[in-house]
Amino acid sequence: MDTPVVDSLNISQFHLWKKLTRKRAPLGFTLELTARCNNDCRHCYINLPAGDSRAAADELTLEEILRIAGEAAEMGALWCLITGGEPLLRPDFSDVYLGLKRQGLVVSVFTNATLIRDEHVELFRQYPAKILEVTAYGVTEATYEAVTRRPGSFAAFRTGLDRLLVNGIPVRLKAMALRSNVHELSLIAEFCRSRTMGYYRFDPLLNLRFDRDPVRNAQIREERLSPDEIAALEQSDPERFRELRNHCDELIQSDLCHSGCDHLFHCGTGMGEFVVGYDGLFRLCGSLWAPGTTYDLRVGRLKQAWYEFAPQVRDLRSRNTAYLETCHACPIIDLCLSCPAHNYLETGEMDGETPYFCAVAHARAEMLKTATGRK
Amino acid sequence: MTGPVSLEKIYAPSDDIVAREIEGEIIIVPLTAGIGNIDDELFTLNETGRAVWKLLDGKKSLRQVTEELSEAYEGAEIDQDVLGFVSELAKRRILVEVS
Repeated sequence: MDTPVVDSLNISQFHLWKKLTRKRAPLGFTLELTARCNNDCRHCYINLPAGDSRAAADELTLEEILRIAGEAAEMGALWCLITGGEPLLRPDFSDVYLGLKRQGLVVSVFTNATLIRDEHVELFRQYPAKILEVTAYGVTEATYEAVTRRPGSFAAFRTGLDRLLVNGIPVRLKAMALRSNVHELSLIAEFCRSRTMGYYRFDPLLNLRFDRDPVRNAQIREERLSPDEIAALEQSDPERFRELRNHCDELIQSDLCHSGCDHLFHCGTGMGEFVVGYDGLFRLCGSLWAPGTTYDLRVGRLKQAWYEFAPQVRDLRSRNTAYLETCHACPIIDLCLSCPAHNYLETGEMDGETPYFCAVAHARAEMLKTATGRK
Repeated sequence: MTGPVSLEKIYAPSDDIVAREIEGEIIIVPLTAGIGNIDDELFTLNETGRAVWKLLDGKKSLRQVTEELSEAYEGAEIDQDVLGFVSELAKRRILVEVS
């Protein structure tokens, strides 16, 4: 008999990932606890007003959430990301958070930190999150609130963030690179790095709205940086640039790997993780809202959604010849935001073409080619 | 209750963890702070550890556990191994003494 041994490990090193992936078991899921938010950010793809009673009424109850999470855990899921909207708007946030942890899930939370109170500090201190990620929209009141459009939100953000940090709760900070804050982005990076032991990430790629609201979509487009600005920002961030450069050969493929195939999906969506919307809709990824690609978990079970419905979605085909001959066969598609989910949000069709995506991809490819000397 | 681990004592999984069985393996997920290092979210057991764990039900003493294991692993000298294993898990608050 061998000596009995206990080993500790980080979830990223978990040795069963490969085995579970081969079986197409769900490894984890994102829970959009609410679509409502106390901020009104110009660039946000999901935020509905905090007082939207219809959206609140549509939200999954604690019992429904725990039933779905229990099914997920039974199927092998190990992690859960709670996001929103702003998840702390839910008065039962602590019950949801603890309930998920008690299912044996490793739980992370994305929040704007403006609603952090002492009870949340105590919760996260006693029952730590894997990752508690907060977005910094600006480091001055003027910039922050130009994005959030809520007076007092900057002070609330600083108070909430400080409350976490002073009490020793580890926090990750990230930023969205927007027209409204790009002038302050280097200061935002400095602010974030000084508070999170060097960790910082930014995202310049903005999705359009889940509800396809044309007024809000116009605001998101206004917040988008130009393709050249995005490429320059990525080149100037050492970590992001290193990642892009190291994966350059995977991202820029001279052989047109998707030509001759009419499957819409070539990404890993629905292969290892899924999303549970605030209203109980199962989605293969956070951006996939196209009609016919969602499954109501209030009506059916997660097992059906995962094992029967998701493969049907992944098997969807395109009949758009122009798309199949251009985007679908593009050698720099992996540098592009184009995918069936984003294409639907932009054009109303999963195989529609978006010139902005194309321009961003080419700017990124050009930047990488120049920086690496690749032709 | 705390104190040195002995064969006369009874142990059970702590309320500070959730033990899950995935693909035949025992995965221990900490619920509360201070179990393991800050970056370690999970604990796993080797095959023998799993055999011991399954017997730690809060009813059997460690002596009964070792006797059952001795039957399964014929001729093995396991008292010290079990005591060491349980000590390690108790130190990490994965197991608690129940009597």
